[in-house]
Amino acid sequence: MNLQAIRILFLKDLFLSRRHLFAYFAGGLVASALVCVPNATLSFVGFILVVTVAIAAGIHMIGTLLLAETTDHTRLFVMSLPVSLLDYSIGKISVVLTTYLIPWTAMFTSLMIVTVVSGKQGNAAVLPTIFLFLLAGFMLQLVTAVISESVGWTICVMVGCNVGLNVFLMQLFANPEVSELSKSNVLTWPGVVLLTISVELLIIAVTLVMAFLFQTRKRDLI
Amino acid sequence: MTTKLESETETELAISLQDVSKSYKHFKLRNINFSVERGTVAGLIGPNGAGKSTTMRILMGLVQPDSGTVTALGKSISSSEATAKQDIGYFSDDMRLYKPESIGWHMQFVRSLYPTWDDAYATQLLDRFGLIQQQIVKGLSHGQRVKAMLLLILARRPKLLILDEPTNGLDPVAKHEILTELMRVVEDDSRTILYSSHNTQDVEQISDSITFIDRGQVIASSNRDAFLEKWKCIKLHAPEGWKAPIVDGLRLESCHRNLHVLSFSQFGGELPSELHATGVTIESMESMTLEEVFVSSVLRGREESPS
Repeated sequence: MNLQAIRILFLKDLFLSRRHLFAYFAGGLVASALVCVPNATLSFVGFILVVTVAIAAGIHMIGTLLLAETTDHTRLFVMSLPVSLLDYSIGKISVVLTTYLIPWTAMFTSLMIVTVVSGKQGNAAVLPTIFLFLLAGFMLQLVTAVISESVGWTICVMVGCNVGLNVFLMQLFANPEVSELSKSNVLTWPGVVLLTISVELLIIAVTLVMAFLFQTRKRDLI
Repeated sequence: MTTKLESETETELAISLQDVSKSYKHFKLRNINFSVERGTVAGLIGPNGAGKSTTMRILMGLVQPDSGTVTALGKSISSSEATAKQDIGYFSDDMRLYKPESIGWHMQFVRSLYPTWDDAYATQLLDRFGLIQQQIVKGLSHGQRVKAMLLLILARRPKLLILDEPTNGLDPVAKHEILTELMRVVEDDSRTILYSSHNTQDVEQISDSITFIDRGQVIASSNRDAFLEKWKCIKLHAPEGWKAPIVDGLRLESCHRNLHVLSFSQFGGELPSELHATGVTIESMESMTLEEVFVSSVLRGREESPS
């Protein structure tokens, strides 16, 4: 493993995605700000925007940084340089994850701060379950893109995750404990929330390992 | 002693492929064997879909062979992919640069990975190829794109150049500029070039040795001059109903009335006596161009093993 090569590949992709990254970061902050507006409609629109920015950022970064390297034939250029498949895989998966996590973290942190400051402490336990669901969905799309190298299959998984999110939110807030917690100004961690977070973290970990395993075991890169 | 000699021979080879095979759903590369000596220019000629690009991608470690061994500059590609590539410059017609970025940005990027990057030479190449650092890749013509990629390869001064159809689709001026630059590279005796094309004229211009490949198989491999010396085109007049004798290396290429055109691949100063004995009148016997040799080799190979 060549750390210098990985660093160069990582910075190269970060530079290439700088404009999109800034747009999603700014969009995420604007959406988070709308959530905090003391108007039910605007707040709801803000929440929809937060989810939209998270989903769009994920599919966009996977598409431009990972899948486009195959369709645009730039991977052939990169792999002609003195980088191994392992260097390439670590650099690529790390940068896709990082470019997603920047707007994700910005939105999550800002909403957590607002939640705590506004006194609705209970939501501080609900928000992580929603954001980790979004992250788990992104990881599923990432691993699909790595395995299939297909825009079509990745979009299929994205659609599935989007539908899944709606079902998840309905189920989550249908739970009396969570419903109560979202209105409460006391932070508690009910079992259902802890279980949900555990499952989400497990999915994230498994998909991350799978993404690396599948990418590094590819025999033919072109 | 034998071991030492073998090892010395091995290090003199820039490229060695032994029994390399690779299967795809509709294509097979079968038992590819060929080697290229250091300091020489080797041409790999084949029709479209013959297996040239696959062979070169295997050499670069981009595609893993199903069997066989591949070494480049004495290093096994499968075991030392990244270190071996440090001294190899690879160009493919399919390769693309990042469209929104400039040539200068690409130069910075490649330079960061190569301690051998030569800034002065890169500037010279920019000038010779008529390129400007600030040019955005998206706005480059095909010829400029090829030149930009060759600049990125040549400025790191690789010991081995693997060029897959570099002159494909270029206008004559751009082609001349690129071939001239490659000739300059060859002036350095320690540098080796493997050059693939389906255009025999380009390959003939700069190659010391030539390998023909068709349908995933090497069909002939030899020194360029030996190819041109051994292959002859014979035009003869023969009586009606005449049939060409079965002689090794002799093939009837075309026939119009009593004028027959044959190719002979094993010319050694005399025509085979079997041909004289058939009562023909030889009109001419000329050297063949590399293109004629190539076409005849491919057709012979297909006749011998139709698939």
